[in-house]
Amino acid sequence: MKKKLLLFFIGTFLLLAHAIAQQITVTGRVTSEDGPIPGVSIRVKGSNVVAQTGAEGSYTIKALRNDVLVFSFVGYTTIERTVGANTTINVALKSDSKGLDEVVITALGNTVKKRELGTSQQTVSGAAIAETQRENFINALQGRVAGVEVTSSSGVPGASSSITIRGVSSISGSNQPLMIVDGLPIDNKTLNTSAFVSDASSNTAFSNRGVDFTNRSADINPEDIESLVVLKGPEAAALYGIDAANGAIVITTKRAKAGAGAVSYSNSFRVEATRTYPEIQKQYGLGGSGVPGSVSTLNNIYQYFGPAYPDGTQFYDNVKDFFQTGFTQKHNLSFEGGSDKVNYRISSAYTDQSGVVPNSDYQRINLTGASQGIVNNWLKTDLSMNYSYAVNDQPLKGSIGPLLGLLAWPQTDDASNYLTAAGTRKLLAFGSAGNAEIDNPYFNVNKNIINSKTSRIISNLGLTITPFRWVNIKTNIGMDSYTNQNLIVRHPESASAFSRGGTIDVANDITRNINLQNLINFNKQKLTKDISFDATLGNSLQNLKSNVDAGYGEGFLDPNFNSLNNVGTKLVRTSISQRRLVSFFGRATFDYKNYLFLTGTIRNDRTSTIPIDRYSFWYPSVQGSFVFTDVPAFKGLKNVFYYGKLRAAYANVGKDARPYAYVPTLENKTTSGGGYGYGFTGPNPGLKPEFAKSYEFGAELGFLNNRLGLDITVYRKETTDQIVNDIRSSYATGFILLNLNGGSTRNQGIELTLRGNPVKTNDFNWDVLANFESARGKVLSLPNALPESYVSDTWLYANVRNGNTPGNSTRSLTGLFYLRNNQGQLLINPTTGVPVRSTTFIEGGYDRQPDFTIGLSNTFTYKNMSLSFLLDIRKGGDVLNATQHFLTTIGLANNTVDRMTPRIIPGVLQDGRENTASPTPNNIAFVPYYQNTFYSTASEELFIEKDINWIRLRDVTFSYKLPQTMLKKQNFVKSASVFVTGTDLFLITNYTGLDPVVNGNTAAVGGSGASGIDYGNFPMPIGLNFGIKIGL
Amino acid sequence: MEKIMKYIYITLLTGFLFTLSSCKKYLDVNTNPNAPQTVTANLYLSPMLHWMVTAPQYDGRFIGRYTQNWTSTTAGTTWDLQGYDPASDNGAELWRDVYWSLGQNLVDMNTKAEAEQRWDLLGVGQILKAWGWQSLTDVHGEIIVKEAIDPTKYLFNYDSQEYAYLEVQRLLTAAIANLARTDGAVDAAFLGKTDLIYKGDRAKWTKLAYAMLALNLNHYSNKASYKPDDVIAAVDKSFTSNADDALMAYPGVTGNDDRNFLGPTRGNMQTYRQTPFIVNLLNGTQFTGVVDPRMTRMLAPAPDGVYRGIVTAAGTGAFTASQLPNNFWNIASISAPAANTQGRYIFSDKCKLPVMTYAQLQFIKAEAAFKKGDKETALAAYKNGISAHIDFVNARNIEDNQSPTQITSAEKTAYMSATAIVPAAAADLTLTQIMCQKYIAQWGWGHLETWMDMRRYHYTDADPATGKQVYLGYVFPTTLYSDNAGKPAYRIRPRYNSEYVWNRDALSVIGGLATDYHTKQTWIVQP
Repeated sequence: MKKKLLLFFIGTFLLLAHAIAQQITVTGRVTSEDGPIPGVSIRVKGSNVVAQTGAEGSYTIKALRNDVLVFSFVGYTTIERTVGANTTINVALKSDSKGLDEVVITALGNTVKKRELGTSQQTVSGAAIAETQRENFINALQGRVAGVEVTSSSGVPGASSSITIRGVSSISGSNQPLMIVDGLPIDNKTLNTSAFVSDASSNTAFSNRGVDFTNRSADINPEDIESLVVLKGPEAAALYGIDAANGAIVITTKRAKAGAGAVSYSNSFRVEATRTYPEIQKQYGLGGSGVPGSVSTLNNIYQYFGPAYPDGTQFYDNVKDFFQTGFTQKHNLSFEGGSDKVNYRISSAYTDQSGVVPNSDYQRINLTGASQGIVNNWLKTDLSMNYSYAVNDQPLKGSIGPLLGLLAWPQTDDASNYLTAAGTRKLLAFGSAGNAEIDNPYFNVNKNIINSKTSRIISNLGLTITPFRWVNIKTNIGMDSYTNQNLIVRHPESASAFSRGGTIDVANDITRNINLQNLINFNKQKLTKDISFDATLGNSLQNLKSNVDAGYGEGFLDPNFNSLNNVGTKLVRTSISQRRLVSFFGRATFDYKNYLFLTGTIRNDRTSTIPIDRYSFWYPSVQGSFVFTDVPAFKGLKNVFYYGKLRAAYANVGKDARPYAYVPTLENKTTSGGGYGYGFTGPNPGLKPEFAKSYEFGAELGFLNNRLGLDITVYRKETTDQIVNDIRSSYATGFILLNLNGGSTRNQGIELTLRGNPVKTNDFNWDVLANFESARGKVLSLPNALPESYVSDTWLYANVRNGNTPGNSTRSLTGLFYLRNNQGQLLINPTTGVPVRSTTFIEGGYDRQPDFTIGLSNTFTYKNMSLSFLLDIRKGGDVLNATQHFLTTIGLANNTVDRMTPRIIPGVLQDGRENTASPTPNNIAFVPYYQNTFYSTASEELFIEKDINWIRLRDVTFSYKLPQTMLKKQNFVKSASVFVTGTDLFLITNYTGLDPVVNGNTAAVGGSGASGIDYGNFPMPIGLNFGIKIGL
Repeated sequence: MEKIMKYIYITLLTGFLFTLSSCKKYLDVNTNPNAPQTVTANLYLSPMLHWMVTAPQYDGRFIGRYTQNWTSTTAGTTWDLQGYDPASDNGAELWRDVYWSLGQNLVDMNTKAEAEQRWDLLGVGQILKAWGWQSLTDVHGEIIVKEAIDPTKYLFNYDSQEYAYLEVQRLLTAAIANLARTDGAVDAAFLGKTDLIYKGDRAKWTKLAYAMLALNLNHYSNKASYKPDDVIAAVDKSFTSNADDALMAYPGVTGNDDRNFLGPTRGNMQTYRQTPFIVNLLNGTQFTGVVDPRMTRMLAPAPDGVYRGIVTAAGTGAFTASQLPNNFWNIASISAPAANTQGRYIFSDKCKLPVMTYAQLQFIKAEAAFKKGDKETALAAYKNGISAHIDFVNARNIEDNQSPTQITSAEKTAYMSATAIVPAAAADLTLTQIMCQKYIAQWGWGHLETWMDMRRYHYTDADPATGKQVYLGYVFPTTLYSDNAGKPAYRIRPRYNSEYVWNRDALSVIGGLATDYHTKQTWIVQP
């Protein structure tokens, strides 16, 4: 069989070789209303022969007389011309960026006309992303795509950002989409602190709270992105398989445009300042219940329940003085050029960012090379290599981070004077015990360290072979390989490590992911006069392996030498994680008269993480698209619609478990004498894949000669047999955590994209794009009918966590909340007068899911000037202001200054009559000044701020292109522009804390994580960028 | 040209077909490379022995407040008021250790030991199993025994305390039989490699099995079925001197977990202070002017040098800074001290802690003999107990360079000669003396047995012979915890984040959801 195939192919090539002899050379120029267009792709239809227009729009291509040349360029209508006797073919392309014939990239790198798509997807241009000047391109996506939600962990340089599409569906696993770059997946991991030895013991664990690391997608230089497509639902991503159950982000990086070589350089300089300063009261000093504080009465932390400060007390504005002006510089330099046979692009970038928090910074170097070559008539190559090196220094976070220390530090002391004459940590109280006093913020940022360095190479080799005109074979082999070195030091004098004499953690993560993908594409063939058909068959193979070697030490010999060689006690840990995936898939699209399309896909995934007898599973998807305005019978509709399309899709997507989820393993114990014992997680030999059934309906409509467009989608997804990781059970199981099937969740929502072009004249143009999303996620059931499941890392502040309970939101919070009677009134303890709290974790009706979000972007261009801005609007969604609760418990919050006012907590007494028609109202009064337990034991529930709305100016850019008349006098600079970009310039919100976009954990945490839990987090700073762009 | 494409095609196609055929093998990478899934039988042992000694210390922080070993520096804390911490796992470390730290590990070890005919290791495993049920039922009353250690279940029914007690006896009897065997693969070197307590000595493990049996049988003292002779017989087959004490050392080389829980580096005890109850047993208040030489070696003075206690639940308010008792590391601070601070007595980083001691057993024997009416035997055992514990204090105080000096033999003799402590005639021995000396000998570490003793005497029962309280000077706080309805604590509620969240249905069957469940008397202390 193999031999026959081989002969068959060889025969084909001989035929091709014969054809080459009769080729002629065609030249020409491609223009548009705005002048020549460089970079237009010219393809000999049904073959692999491709050329591109150069800087002046001209091209050269070899073709046969009966060949058809296809001229296509993103944003323009594709035009076809038969060669015939012409040796010169000039073409004028018509702009059609919003029409249905726009060519878009979809799953597996297929380029299709928009009219064929049965699912919702949205494209963001690389230019729009780069223009925001965000170091982490993920942060540029909020508001630009309906249904996409980006949460950055904090405003510190290098902070991790998580991205969710269409809400949270997985209770404990990742809800982040798959990242695809040039056809192959790349790693977007945020290092989980479980790799550190410190996490082996609850006494030293970080639990993804106290520290943060960059999510690895940030290694990509935003300037290298040509376009970014968001495939939202599992229908769109059915072809990408397991890892795309939460959608996919498909990035295409830049390639050179053929023609004369071009050099471009751009830079950007940014200053950053913190948006707001947290406010604390200045009336009452240290002490408890009105008694001045002394060492013995203060309970391990400063408390400000003492008498009022005497007149003339000198205050220091520690909070304001602490923040500095951040400064960032970026430089991008790229070269590109080539012929119609070979082209190349080389770009380099340097970013150096220092944040508003002292000693926080992020540096990155990128070196990217991409080259395409047409080897011969049937073989085309595409090779890209991306090297990056990033260094990040962050402050500690949350309870051990500098913000809480900054706030709690006595305002009567100059915090910046934080060292003794001997150079050791200066303590204000509590004698010699360093762990009794919260860290001075300056000490914290100067002596504690989180440093990570990452060097990474992503390579991608693509070969396209076109044995016949009707088929091509595309193979991509990619390697994503990085070394990520991390160092965390908790100084021996710091509060967090005083009792251990300092701790040092190192972890070196060597990740090497290999991806192989083969596609056989069958080009469109006519089956009958009206029906044509195209299809893809493929397989892929992934080998994902990460090896983290970690070391830990405590008991520093020299307090200021940060090395494992400088500690008394040392421990090590190796975490290897390997996952392999083999997949086979197929897609077929039927096209009826170019207005009705039906696409079906089928995929088989075989994963190493599911027990071998169930490791292989199949799942289908089907989608249809109906361009009703192109139906001849409905021709009259053209009076109303410029175009109109209806679409529907259904998919059933499988998902596997994390590696090693079903077999328990023994751990090397660090208790006396060492030895082995089981870890927390128990066995589950019956583990099976989970499935998500999902459907969506949508419509795409254009009006008023396409000056107005609407895209609407409704969707619903139901996950069954969901694998809930680390769910608890009775310890009588012999284990503490189990990975079980049996969760189910339902997500539904609506997405609307409205675009308009209200003004369009020769000089002035105004474009508007509004993205609206409203999503709901609900937990239907939990494994074993358990009452609650939560991700323990989110239990980061007092007694609130991201608990999921059946019947409630996937983003709800559970806690030891106040008990209420049947009328919703607070129950008050009849003897103490304080509200009664639940002793079990209960659902309190809190939901961090917003009611809706809107991203509104506007672009104005006037001659050479352009102004664009993006507003991010959100309505609803709860945020726990844990920082404020913390400040209240220590008497620093402004809401404690009325402490002399006697009060009665409104509610009813829990005296047995609380649920009757006439409960007893509470009448027990007290004065908090004398009874500071009112504040120090206040429930966190009071600080869950409900229905948080905001309007945020995400970014605004003004740019000015220097007119050609100015550049004419010289030959060196061909184009030049200057720009000013503001990021996060304003935020209007009803949230009382610093910034409602927060995550108390890092992006590494699964489920709904700790987004919306604000504890000691630094807000996004205000930034102002200035820069130039020059083309040579 | 054709050659190149030929090669490419061959490569591509074979690649494609190859992946199809050898998929299963390629995907079989699910053996976790980070840790083994099974190990040599003796490697399970050390962590379990560690927790056998250490887990009671975790819970001792709370039980020690019921028994007034110590109290919190904060006034009116729940445990000082015979209460508990709602929605908290405090006081349930044993629950975690019996079901998880031992749990499946012990099942695997015993299964392997049996299959490999390692009867000595199996015997030790059975002792561990017995210890787990004994400790757990003594603390919690009804526990899960029959259905335990089954990851496929999610509702676990509770078994009665009576069943747990019988299971302990069954396991100990089996252990004794296995430890007597010398056939098969019995190997002292193999067991000794990971045996942190007896280094593989089967004879000593056998003694420990008898010791545990004695402890178990003596708990029946309130029941008609109590058999003091069986208790005495078991004691006599158990430890014969301090050399048999089941002690475990804390090496303190890997940082935290292998340091003594009570030591300064762990920093768990800074907010705990001794009570007047223990101080008065030692300073001559209760025993007419006889100052116990152990006081200055076990307890901590105030900065002014005087030994005082903080009244349970009263907090530090009544004291001036110089009169406030120091913590057990002899530091005034309520903050954790710096790592490697010098400790005192058992409150030291590398000091050994016992599972059971010879002194403890002699007091068990004394109580049993006393109840039987054999006062001569009782007095002899009682004297052995005091003497052995004085030696125990000395032995502990030199293990980790602790600060107290050794008790001299002159001090010991003087103390033992005082008739208020050791009566000259056996007939003058009182239950109060036995139980108070046992209390002293177990102070600071023997929380489970101390609490069991005190519950058997309902904390404040009077000795019928003398009319004096068995526990001289033990006083409840004036107001107990709000859920108690005036009753003292008789059990700790099962672990919150195990049972109250994930096994509520089973808990409700035994009445565990009642707010005063912790005051319900356990079966063993009832008549």
